[in-house]
Amino acid sequence: MKVPYVEDKPTQEGFRTPSEADLGRMIRTTVESWKPRRGPDWSDVLIRLANSGPPPWLLYTAASAALVVILLAAFLIGSALQIGALGPQPVNATLH
Amino acid sequence: MTDEKELDPATEFRQLYDQQYLSVYRSIRGVVLDAAAAEDLTQETFVRAYRARHRYTPTAPPGAWLRRIGINLAISYLRRQKLARVLPARLYMAPDRRDYDRAEARDVVTKAMTALSPKLRAAIVLHYYDGLTREEIASVLGVPAGTVASRIAKAVAIMRKSIGSDQDLGPERSTSEGALRGR
Repeated sequence: MKVPYVEDKPTQEGFRTPSEADLGRMIRTTVESWKPRRGPDWSDVLIRLANSGPPPWLLYTAASAALVVILLAAFLIGSALQIGALGPQPVNATLH
Repeated sequence: MTDEKELDPATEFRQLYDQQYLSVYRSIRGVVLDAAAAEDLTQETFVRAYRARHRYTPTAPPGAWLRRIGINLAISYLRRQKLARVLPARLYMAPDRRDYDRAEARDVVTKAMTALSPKLRAAIVLHYYDGLTREEIASVLGVPAGTVASRIAKAVAIMRKSIGSDQDLGPERSTSEGALRGR
């Protein structure tokens, strides 16, 4: 009995592979079906704003300013009182 | 998005919230594929946008500005989730229903979207749902337009293949197999 030749190599795209336009429509339909359970809740936004601390930029600016003040004060106090590395250093008088 | 009245975030933020809430939610959900996480991230997006409202420059529409904040938040959220998974069990607190791996793969499109990386999903949603051009998506995602084009092409190829193979296998296999198997 003759058996017709059937190629067993799978095709590049499946039988029901959607076209790009169909896929675009499918994505749009799916995304449009997504509805939030609670919906817009402005009071929740206000609560989150009230509970959140200062914005990061303000925090970093304040921390940087505080660090500069501390370092400057340490330098001025150290040089005025001549303490630490800012004080008079012993000089080796023995010359060879 | 373009036919809506453009509101000024500095003075009309409340109206902007009502106008953009749903589309920002959908864009974020398209990236995280989790309804609860998307709602939370949408609220967080508006909190961050409110704080930055005076720094908004009208180079892009407010909707694109909000999407940029939202999608960056969504991608960071997924990155944190991924990081949490590699942490030792003692440090890792499993999130209740917000795990990306338990994404809602209810339909064939959502199922195909789970096979994409978050960045590919963002490009796909912004292109097909929000109807943004490649240049507009590039400004939202902060990447060149060529990168957007290649991301869209790659995502389309993966999704077409996924949907095609899923439908060719028949309903028995597609319902018995997890949408995220083999990831």
